[in-house]
Amino acid sequence: MYRGLLRTARQCAFSLHQAGALPPKCDNAALPVFRLGRSVGIHPFNTSSTSYCENKENAPAPPQLKDKEDAQKDSASLAAPTDQAKVEMKAECEGTNLPDNAPPPPQAKDKEDAHRDGDSLATPTDQAKVEMAAECEGTDLPEQGETLLKTLLKTPLKTEEGNQQKTEERQPRVKTGKESLLDLLVAMKVDVTTSKKRSKGTKIPARHEPTVTPKPAAMESTHSMFQKATVEASIQCDAQPSVASGSLSPELVAAASAAAASLPDPSRAESELLQQLRQHEAEPEDHKRGEANNIGNIIADMKVGRPTPRQHARSSNTIHFDEDGRGYKKSLFERKRLGIFNPATDEESTDAAIAGPNLWDTEFANLLVRTANHMPRNGFEEMIQWTRDGKLWQYPIDNEIGLEEEAAVAFHEHIFLDRHLEEGFPRQGPVRHFMELVVAGLSRNHHLSVRQKTEHIDWYRTYFQEKEDVLKEAAAFLN
Amino acid sequence: MAASGRHAGHYINKNSKSLLNHLDKLLGQRGFALSSVLRQQTATLQNDSTEAIVIPRKKTWGKEAVLEALASTVNRDPTAYHYQFQDDPYLTPRTSAESKLYSMSQESGRAAAKYFVDMYPKYFTKDFAEPHIPCLMPASVVLSLEEVSEEALKERIGLRKVGAAVEMYDQLVQAGTPISKQMTYDLLDLVCFYGDREPAQEGEPEADQPEASAEELRRKRGRFHRASDTLRGVWRENNNAERLFRLLPERDARCYSAVIRGMVKHGAFAKAFDMYTDMLNNRLTADVDIFNALILAVPEMREAYTEKVDFITELLNQMNQQKVQPNLQTFNHVLKVLRRCGALAKSISLQTLSEMKALGIAPSLASFNHLLAIFYKGGSAADYPTDILQELLSEIETTSFTCQDPEDVWFFSSAMKICLETKDMKLGYKVHSLVGVGDNWRLLGDSYQQGMFYYRFFSLLCLMEHVDVVLKWYHQLMPSLYYPNPQGMRDLLQALDTESRLELLPSIWKDVKTLGHDNKSDLVEELLSLMAREKHSPEVQESFADCALDIKAAFDVDRRKPSLEWSPLALGHVTTLLLRAGRIPQAWEMMQLFKSKNRIPSEALLEDFLSKCSGAPTTAVELVKLSAAFCLPATPQLAQRVLLECDLTEDQRTTLSELESSWDHNE
Repeated sequence: MYRGLLRTARQCAFSLHQAGALPPKCDNAALPVFRLGRSVGIHPFNTSSTSYCENKENAPAPPQLKDKEDAQKDSASLAAPTDQAKVEMKAECEGTNLPDNAPPPPQAKDKEDAHRDGDSLATPTDQAKVEMAAECEGTDLPEQGETLLKTLLKTPLKTEEGNQQKTEERQPRVKTGKESLLDLLVAMKVDVTTSKKRSKGTKIPARHEPTVTPKPAAMESTHSMFQKATVEASIQCDAQPSVASGSLSPELVAAASAAAASLPDPSRAESELLQQLRQHEAEPEDHKRGEANNIGNIIADMKVGRPTPRQHARSSNTIHFDEDGRGYKKSLFERKRLGIFNPATDEESTDAAIAGPNLWDTEFANLLVRTANHMPRNGFEEMIQWTRDGKLWQYPIDNEIGLEEEAAVAFHEHIFLDRHLEEGFPRQGPVRHFMELVVAGLSRNHHLSVRQKTEHIDWYRTYFQEKEDVLKEAAAFLN
Repeated sequence: MAASGRHAGHYINKNSKSLLNHLDKLLGQRGFALSSVLRQQTATLQNDSTEAIVIPRKKTWGKEAVLEALASTVNRDPTAYHYQFQDDPYLTPRTSAESKLYSMSQESGRAAAKYFVDMYPKYFTKDFAEPHIPCLMPASVVLSLEEVSEEALKERIGLRKVGAAVEMYDQLVQAGTPISKQMTYDLLDLVCFYGDREPAQEGEPEADQPEASAEELRRKRGRFHRASDTLRGVWRENNNAERLFRLLPERDARCYSAVIRGMVKHGAFAKAFDMYTDMLNNRLTADVDIFNALILAVPEMREAYTEKVDFITELLNQMNQQKVQPNLQTFNHVLKVLRRCGALAKSISLQTLSEMKALGIAPSLASFNHLLAIFYKGGSAADYPTDILQELLSEIETTSFTCQDPEDVWFFSSAMKICLETKDMKLGYKVHSLVGVGDNWRLLGDSYQQGMFYYRFFSLLCLMEHVDVVLKWYHQLMPSLYYPNPQGMRDLLQALDTESRLELLPSIWKDVKTLGHDNKSDLVEELLSLMAREKHSPEVQESFADCALDIKAAFDVDRRKPSLEWSPLALGHVTTLLLRAGRIPQAWEMMQLFKSKNRIPSEALLEDFLSKCSGAPTTAVELVKLSAAFCLPATPQLAQRVLLECDLTEDQRTTLSELESSWDHNE
């Protein structure tokens, strides 16, 4: 649905632009074009069309930039409601031409863009699924654009943080005399709730901002390059040809950076904008996957049991109930929910696990253990309990359990103990003979560890060294 | 750990199977367009498999895997007693009280041994085991470090010596020794957890706590006994926990969490909320434990149902605002509180359940238990006839649960209670089969809850099922899982009565005797009246007579336990039974018993007796004498009957006439 909206919106916007471009003199046409562009700019991905205009002009004038910025903001703010609140907007696209049928635009570049757009539109899409179609009759009439805009705004929009900011920014520009925009602002302001304001305050600062240069112009170019690279990478991953409709097109990034340039803290603003955009890009990706006629993907989604795309859960449930012969009756879990919490993201769930268990946790665990009945029901279960207590040999039986430190000691160290006689003992004679017997005995003793064996030998060494005099007298100590 | 991994594997296996099934159906429904895609995939897969041989990774088995596999092959033997009693045939319990007593004594024996080993480690120094077995060696329970140090504090915290730990902490603070943050947290946890009191029965395992007050526990075991247990202590004003908390140089959310949880645990609900407000004022965000505790305290803070619900919603919203992810406990507490919110709770509880589902939190049995309690209040389920339970069971039919909430164990008995109240046998079977899934039997709870569960199930069976099925279940459950209580036995008797299978009564009596219910007079009387109500075939009468004699013996058994008192009815029934089997001498003994117990036989009984002893005139005359001795109004009729029917000697005739006339005289 989201994608459908996006596409039609784009189509609409583009044809608007086309209509504006039809007059031979671009300069004369500029005003209506921008008005239209602005008013339709409420649609998410209209920015490309405005940027086309920019291209055509070859010299981006400040008001245009402003305009583009607004469009950008709008897209950011509106992207959320399109998938969250089920905005049922019905709009038809009549009297507009598909880009392919459009009269050739004055400039080649524009034409190229048009073709690209046409490509994206021509992809086999399930138009039937599109619940939302942009209505746009008589595209050259600004009033129509305004009415469209108003209908859009009447729907309950959950605008996000950018919205507030945007409305404030817009205020000065409105002085140019756009009554329609005033209406728009009023409508939007009503929708902005207090909680949104708060969430704006807690926004995470962007991390991927490499440098903070005071010159916005320079920033714009570098960032657009930087973003382009990442966006292109993502585009390549996506096999769908309609990627051009993806929100993070290079033009969009350029627009974002341009918009940010006009703000007090440009680098931060831009990264926020882009972050927001990417977020919304990620969501349609999910939906796209779900809609694709690839059963493999559906299966993969079902297996994971991901809670986020709710239609998947529902479909698996209906299958379940078919099996039961219960038809499509609502299951116990499929009723209306409280709607207070949002499903957890991974990062949030992890930080709870960082802290170790405290007394409360351990006592709670003990309570659970005590509550559950753990009386063994047969001998094996009793043995399991004993194994857990550590009272029983573990199965499969391994008679080296508990000898972990011995495992590091090789066999030969136990057996060939002669090397310990090299030092401190006579090379021959009765003492040597005695010690050889001792070593032979030790090598067969499996009760002692190697350390104990060497200690044993060491004891004899010191003993014979102490008694050296006596031995020498007896001529037993030959060295 | 290894077990949980195994379970996970098991689930994956199971799920994939069901998935394949679903897939087959899907394919059948959706036609070839999809299947062609699939076939392509499988074709590519086959190509791959010919090229690369994947050697499975070596599997490391848990140390219990072998035993678990073996244990799964052992089925329950319905004729055997529980495994824990099989060591000693002398200690085979025959009644539920005995089984409780024996298992308790086993536990307490272990606990006592452990206590001595721990208290007197100097006598248990020899380590026989090779390799060393730590759990058999004495654990240190006595403080060993005397000096003032952080180590000593740690030791005191580890041994749960609340007072000593606080003292040590104070000394350390006075000496100016820096104390690590973790240690402060631990100390605060300790003091708050026990509400600044020494934990009960220090040094002894908890297992013998119930033993000490087993009798009490049984009496006060109601639905909420656990709740009352947790709220047992009282949070005293300005106790050490609060003092420590105030002394802390910096208070973070962790400290607040400990204090708030302690306050809620020990009943200082309003204080807990004050503390929470204080925390918010200090610009801290709460953690999930704080919210869990606060939610539990809601019913104490608000009176009206709507206010409670609003308050809970408010708290949950605050959770969301503070970006705290709820867990299972949160929702279980919400549902638990909703139980005290009347009819208002119904829709909200369902919404809560959906919320859990949406958040990917699998409800535990406690959640379902709360839900059932909300919907089936006061025994009437008029609004929602078993629908909820039905839906619930079809959802969780094949789910194996683990204990995640202390109140999980209430689910089965309350579910069965609903089945019994709505008299839904099908659901009853479903609940019973759910117990058999996986390790669900562990969640049946202690012997009391288990007894309740099986009692309800059995009562339901007696009500709804054919008596043969009932008896089948009876024999399956009886000695190994369930010791029927007198009420259960009475249900069984009623089932036998409705199906007119009274010939089985003597065998039931044997069970009654084994179960130790032979001193329950109402049960025995019911049994007797059932036997004596109608006449049966001679064989049955014969067995009934034997049974009656057995019952008579039960009355005469030595008087250690509170025994039966002969009631006139019981005496009459026994006599009737003996008469019907033609055992005149024994019946005559029974008549003597009437006299010695000062009970009065009914006239019908005397008439019966008389008709049986027409061939024995002496007995007949004695009977009339007996009747006269009781001053029964029927004596003249009896005397006349004897005079007419029996072949009497002259003496006997005169005695009878005297009796008759004297009676008239008295009149």
